[in-house]
Amino acid sequence: MPVTLILRKKEYTVEGTITVKDALKQLGLSPESHLVVRDGQLLTENDALRNGEVVKLVAVISGG
Amino acid sequence: MGNYVCSQCRGPAVFRMRHHRLAFCQPHYLEWFIEQTARVIEKYHMFAPTDRILVAVSGGKDSLALWDVLWRLGYQADGLYINLGISSQEGDYSNESQRYAKDFAGQNGLRLHVVDILQQYGESIPQFASRSQRGRIKPCGVCGLVKRHVMNRVARDEGYDVLTTAHNLDDEAAVLMSNTMAWQVDLLQRQYPVLPAEDGFVRKAKPFCRFYERETAAYSLLRGIEYEEEECPFSVGSKQLVYKDMLNKMEETTPGIKMNFYAGFLNARSAGYFSPQNKADNEQSRELHRCPTCGQPTASDGACAFCRLVKAA
Repeated sequence: MPVTLILRKKEYTVEGTITVKDALKQLGLSPESHLVVRDGQLLTENDALRNGEVVKLVAVISGG
Repeated sequence: MGNYVCSQCRGPAVFRMRHHRLAFCQPHYLEWFIEQTARVIEKYHMFAPTDRILVAVSGGKDSLALWDVLWRLGYQADGLYINLGISSQEGDYSNESQRYAKDFAGQNGLRLHVVDILQQYGESIPQFASRSQRGRIKPCGVCGLVKRHVMNRVARDEGYDVLTTAHNLDDEAAVLMSNTMAWQVDLLQRQYPVLPAEDGFVRKAKPFCRFYERETAAYSLLRGIEYEEEECPFSVGSKQLVYKDMLNKMEETTPGIKMNFYAGFLNARSAGYFSPQNKADNEQSRELHRCPTCGQPTASDGACAFCRLVKAA
């Protein structure tokens, strides 16, 4: 089972084991505008995501 | 590639800022963030410990983080939530945002003023916008006009010394880019972390203006603040988001470029590069009158834009 990343109710998957930085790159998401949270804990770009995990993506850019 | 360690205690880091060459564990990041805010408040002489502060609160990560930091620093900071009456298929955006603001105030024993635009003025922002030239394409212009009016009115009526907003460096850099692309020198002159009170306008300050947006988000997450994660439905495709995206693409390859862009502008502005050559001309172009209806300052020689909008309702 791949890694599941949830961004505003939308689910994305990537194959683990993979770093946060590479996962964001694969999904075409900027690390400048997204944070990754696992069980309420913030992850840095070098943290590893493993198959079967579900993490939350937080979009940090807002504006209108 | 190893994991990062906290620049303070050498323990495992949870957040890294490439442009500062710093990484922190949770407690030291929260500490650093509060210290940096205090430093910015002092650097720009934003307000004094005895000042009464009104915090413009949207229910989002930035404004709730600002309110949180100000009361932790010991300031007398009350909140103002303006319910704009915005909803979409995804949800009841304004009422949900209000709930986050009220919950935060309740949890921390803070005072929150709430102004409901529909209840007070008879129409919501989308309704005002739908019949206004200013809001025909997007309601953001009307929304900004109404918010500026209400924030200034509440701050003056309730006797606050300063109105604070949670504009962060990404917000400021995006506005700077927009104004620079159009060489709107008059707007560049007025962009600064603090604007003094003048002619009926309350003093305005932006204590988060040196933080990247991901830093304010990290503060809210690490502090455990619950906030509205959904975006305003009208922000989709906004010019500000386009500029933020462009700046972040540059930041990915050149860490610190956003900070240098904004900080360099502030230095240039302080050195007088954007000051008007003729002071008298500038003062004349900024001449303000008193709106006969609401008493607030306006550039027009009659009712202000807000009162004209409401009267036409």
